[in-house]
This record gives sequence, C-alpha cells and structure tokens, in this order.
Amino acid sequence: MIMSRFMSLPRSFTALALVFIVACDDNPVDPPGGTAFLQVLGKGAVPERYTGEVWVRGNTAYTTTWGFRSEFGNAIKIWDISGGAAPVLVNTVIVPGVGTLGDIQTSDDGSLLIVATEPSPGSIMIYDLADPRNPQLLTRHATASTQPGVHTAEVQRVNGRLYAFLSIDPPARLVIVDITDPRAPVEVLSAPMGQPFLHDVFVRDGILFTALWDGGVSIWDIGGAGSGSVSAPRLISNLRTEGGQVHNVWWYHAPGGEKRYAFIGEEGPSSGLASASGDIHVVDVSNMSAPVEVAFFRVPGAGTHNFSMDETRGILYAAFYNGGVRAIDVTGDLSSCTPAERSFDGRCDLRLMGRELATGLFAEAPVYVWGVHFAGDKVYASDMLNGLWALREFLPLD
Amino acid sequence: MLGAHGIGMITHQSPAVAGRSMTEGYLTQPTLMLHAGGRGLPAIQLMLSLEGLTLERGELNPGIVGEGYIDRRHPHTYLHEVTATLERGSDRARGSLTIGKGFAPFGTDDPMVRPFVKYPINHHLAQILERVVAIGAVRLGPVGLEAGSFNGDEPESSGDAPNRSRLWDSWAMRATLYPIDGGELQASYANVRSPEIAKGGGPDDRKWSVSGRFENAGRRQYALAEWARSTGYVGSDKTLDFHSFLIEGQTGVGRLLLAGRLEVTDRADEERLADPFRTLAGGHDFSILGRSRWTIGTFGVAFPIATRRGVSLTPFAEVAQHGVRETLRPSGFVPADFYGSDRILMLSGGLRIGIGAMHGRMGRYGAAIPRQRGTTTPQSQSPQHAH
Repeated sequence: MIMSRFMSLPRSFTALALVFIVACDDNPVDPPGGTAFLQVLGKGAVPERYTGEVWVRGNTAYTTTWGFRSEFGNAIKIWDISGGAAPVLVNTVIVPGVGTLGDIQTSDDGSLLIVATEPSPGSIMIYDLADPRNPQLLTRHATASTQPGVHTAEVQRVNGRLYAFLSIDPPARLVIVDITDPRAPVEVLSAPMGQPFLHDVFVRDGILFTALWDGGVSIWDIGGAGSGSVSAPRLISNLRTEGGQVHNVWWYHAPGGEKRYAFIGEEGPSSGLASASGDIHVVDVSNMSAPVEVAFFRVPGAGTHNFSMDETRGILYAAFYNGGVRAIDVTGDLSSCTPAERSFDGRCDLRLMGRELATGLFAEAPVYVWGVHFAGDKVYASDMLNGLWALREFLPLD
Repeated sequence: MLGAHGIGMITHQSPAVAGRSMTEGYLTQPTLMLHAGGRGLPAIQLMLSLEGLTLERGELNPGIVGEGYIDRRHPHTYLHEVTATLERGSDRARGSLTIGKGFAPFGTDDPMVRPFVKYPINHHLAQILERVVAIGAVRLGPVGLEAGSFNGDEPESSGDAPNRSRLWDSWAMRATLYPIDGGELQASYANVRSPEIAKGGGPDDRKWSVSGRFENAGRRQYALAEWARSTGYVGSDKTLDFHSFLIEGQTGVGRLLLAGRLEVTDRADEERLADPFRTLAGGHDFSILGRSRWTIGTFGVAFPIATRRGVSLTPFAEVAQHGVRETLRPSGFVPADFYGSDRILMLSGGLRIGIGAMHGRMGRYGAAIPRQRGTTTPQSQSPQHAH
C-alpha cells in the first residue's frame, strides 16, 4: 500500500515535469516525388536482433547483426536466395564474446568469409566457405591493433595478395592485414588517421580511399599509381567534402572505362532508429591529385549509409536508413546542370536534376536500411528493424 | 584545514541486466580535502578523490551515463579539484578570480555535498566539473554574476588530465539572486565544445540550468528544485535535447535526517561494450541508439550518531524506484528488453565517515559563495558534513 502510494508520486511528478519538457519534433522523410518503386519480392525476418550489413555471393546472402535487441548482435545469418522471392534463413553462426558484428564480405574467389567484430574485443573472423552455407572458422585475428573494435573491414586483392583493410574505433587508425594465408594473417600496416573517426575504406585498382569523417576523404596509392604500396601508402590527395562526416566511398567504373566519379556517403547525426541525416557527395576524381566535389544527393529527413552499384547501367543504390533504398542515375556528366538545379555553393543537386529513379521500402516503413547489395537482377537490403529484403532491380522503361 | 571522507556501502539492484538482480559493496567517495589561505592570501581548495582505486568497475546507479560508464557511476579523477581564489571587497560588493581545476560556473552543487549518497542521473546535465577553469565572479548586494572559461573535454579515466589543446575552448556564465538568507535562485548557460571526444571534433553541448535552493543555518533543512537542458549540436545543426527536472529536500526529525528526491531525466542510450555497463567512450559516429526517460523517486534516512574531535559517523539507508521508457521509436535500445523490466528497485545502506573540515558547497568559488550567517566563513567549507 505504502509502496503503491510511493509509486504514484513519480507519475504525478512526471506529469508536472513534462510541462517543462518540450517534445521533440518529428522529422518526417520526404515522400518520393514521382519516382518509381523498387518492387518488393520478399522479406527474411530477423525479429530478435537488429540486422547490420549484407553481402551476397551466388545464391547465398550473409547478414550481420548489431547492438542489443532481445539478443546481442553476435549472429551471422545465412540465407538461401535461390527462390527469387523471400530470402530463406538456412543457418545462423554465433560469434562468441562480441556485442556487434559490422561488415561482412566474401573474398573475390568465394573461398573466405570475413566478418568484423566490435566493440571490444575487436577482431576479424575468417571463415572457410568450402560449404558456403556452413562456414567453418579458420582464424580469429585479434591483436592490440584491432582494439577496441573493428568498425569496418574491406577485403580486396592488391598485386595478387589478399588484404583486409580494417577501420578501427577510436583512437582511430587504419590496419591492413595480409590474409593471403588465412590461417596466418600478417599485419602490414597500422596507421593513425581520421578526425575523429576512420569509418570505412574503398579499394580498387591499387588505389585506396579512406573515409576520415571531418578529415574528409583521402586518396592513396597502394600500388596502382606509382611508388605506393600496401605497407607504405602514398598520399595522393585529400578533399574535405561539404559537411564532413565522411562515412563511406564508392569509386565508380563506368562501362566505357571512365573512372571519373567517387560517391561519398556522409553520415550525419541520427537518433535511435527513428531519424537520420547525411547526403551523398559526388566527387570528380578524374585528376586524383585535385579532386573536386561537383554534386550531391539529399533526401530531406533521412540520411544515407552504405552503397552498392549496378555499374553496367550506371545506377547507384544507396541505403538511406529511415528513407529506405534509393536508386540514382549516375550516368553521364554529373557536374553539368541548369542554374535552377544548382545549390547556392554551385554544386549540382541530383534530385533537382531528376536523377532519382526509384525508391524502395517506402511503403514498408518503418524501416532502417543499413546496407544494400546489387546482385544479378535484384537488390538486397539489410534493414535493422526487419531483416533482409529482396527487391527487384530498377529497369528503365524503354 | 584538512579533511577526509568516505562511505562504506552495499547496494542491491533489481533487475540490473536481463532480469537478474545484483548486490555489490563499495568504498565510495573516498576523498581527502584541504582548505588553506584566505585572509588576504589566495584561498586554496583541494580535493583528491580515490575512487579510481576503489570504484574502477563503477557504482550501480541505473540511468546514469558518462565517461564510458552506463548504469554505473564512473569514478572521478584523482585530482578532483584544486583551485586558488583571490577575493576582495566588502559584504556589499565583492569580486573574485579563481583559477585551477574544478567546476565551471554552471548549474547546481555537486551531488557529493547533497543529502543522498546515490547520485541523481542528471550529473552530466546539471554540473560541469573536473575542468581547468578561470572564473571571474562579482557580488553586488543580492545579485551575483560569474563567467568562466574552461576545457570542454570530459575526463577519459581516473588518471586523465584535461587536454592542453582544449584549454579555454568552452565557456559558461551564471547569474544568482540571493533574495533571503540561505536562499538563492540561479540561471546559467554553458557552451561546451566536444565534451565526449577528447581530441575534439565531436558534437558540442549547449546547456541551460535554472534552480532554486534553500538551506537553513543549521543545514538540517534543505531544498532544491532544478531544471536543466542540454542540446547537442554538430556545427550549427541541432541534434537532440535532453531535459532534467529534479526536486529534493531534507529535514531533521529529532536526530534523524529524512530526505526525498524526485527526478525526471532524459538519457542518451549509447552502444555498450561486451561489459554491459561500459560504452565506447567517444563512440564511432555521432549517432545514439535512442533516448530514454527516467523517472526516479528516492527516499533516504540518515542518523548522525557521533561527532567527536571532528569525526562524524552517519549510518544511512536509501531506497529508489526507477521507471524508464524509450522516447524515440523505433529505438535501438528498449529498456524493458535490456533490463528485463521497465521498473527497477535499488536499495542502499552503509556508513558515512567524515574527519575534519569538509567541503560545504561544491560548484562555486569566491564571491559566488554566500557567507554563513553570523560569520565570515564562506560556505565552501564546513566543519561538519551536515548532509
């Protein structure tokens, strides 16, 4: 009785206190304006954990999990996507002793699966994929250099050797590990960088892009443009994109051989799984020594996260957290637009240019899309709230 | 004058994590104090905290967050406070200049000199401490004004010192009205650069605090009502507001001291490490998992049983009931899922020991501290620790 009276006091007090507390504004996502929709083919539900990154190889998709829902984000989910509709969960691999799994990627030959773990203890898990749906752990690479956590891990081959490029949680640094022999990884570089974070990298043709948050994006030669190497990268240039908070990069190779644009993801502040912010920045890297930001893409009320591309058609698929998935036409000259399509600082606004082709998962809200992966004729979207979605790719009407 | 203070305590919390209860014992708030100077010389105020030795795992305190700890109060730095204050003037008009490591002129007194052993969870909303400060203060009749500059970075560990590169990047100011003896009304504002990322570059905080406080001459009657707000900014872009509203009071009944506190405070829910009571200090981006609102009612009783040759012994007991819910939906942190309930009970009891001269007020210096009535002694020191 006394306790129940006591408990009623906080409720009364809450009512009083709420008088003084201003409610937060909703920050609704702008509805798509006249664009098409990416058809939803199906969903593989993950109700007990928040879903993280997605990777697809062949008829198998892999997703990671993040944070704490009713279970810790320590599970790799393995999906059969051969049916063409809803992904079917076929296996779950638990990584012991971690709270969050971030990036997940197979090696280019499909023999290995690499998973980043954070926060402390930070590591990469290297699995053998002889049976793609039943990964077998080869090595857990955890050293002083991978602490307190590996936020992202990109796996790429440079001059014939396979490397994992690790972005480490603060104190931020880049760690590069030679995993050519996956049972005996060798650390070849550990270099502090990032202001204050190093969030991700992109590696292609011996060129390394590093996403340095407010430090912008740096371009390094690691064997593709002169004297640099993986163990001794040579800085080519740095560009501070508008707004900073550089999170991820995709260097686009067009079918005709043009390699003019890099797409830079800006991760602005977000709150819970309810709101997000941040643009896609288009950087002209045709002169790598002097990159220039020429355009941007913004979804008011939402923020971008990871990318994937249909490079043949020149379509950038971008995860946009609470804004779902956006398909953007990035063919042709992105730096040329009318005055009405320019922002006050001279950059072209891809949205005003009509470059947004389609949206995905808008009708399925609430969603919070972490990553996308274009494969075959489909786009797979990892949704922190719901699991893994299969969407049909965007096909322009003739 | 020298002083020492410490509290032996047992805390039981149910639930703590995933429906499980926890019971732990602590030596909390072990401190050594020194007051020196004055009478024309700079007044020196020193407090060494030994919590880094006794409280490394943190002290169970559901709802609190800061400096890499969550749901446990973090240990303070070894050099908690060392200041030199030069004060001049008369009873009607006084001015002072304070330099050292201590409190910015913002908000209310440190919870350590208030009635409860368990901290309110708004500590990082309502006080700014353990910074290198330079503070000017003036008192003209019933009005006091303070302005100060300090480093924005919060400590990263008990042995951490303020970053030299961050000195003087933040500022605060406070106006106080002293309408009656023992009573004061204050309003303050602070602009704190990148508090959670020590090397800089993180979100900034803009903070407001308004409070009213009363304490009688014997320090057995005490009341405080405060409202605080902290708003995050990335550059000029506003992110989220966090509010706190708190009232607390104490009264003496015979030899007993009875105290009550009600608090409603918003908390940023940050990503936890494998240890569920720790977070990645500084994070890896500017996002938070969610925001939860905590409503906490606390009742305490203390029984000062001995005061002899400057030694005070005070057994105490406290009971606190917490209610918590997420305020952003969908949220990356659902309290009922994490704790196993949206109601948390905490019971604490132990013995407070004080020897010599204690700090009377913590959070104000020089001309901003009211004189104890009938004396020329500022309330910055107290021969006995009434709370």
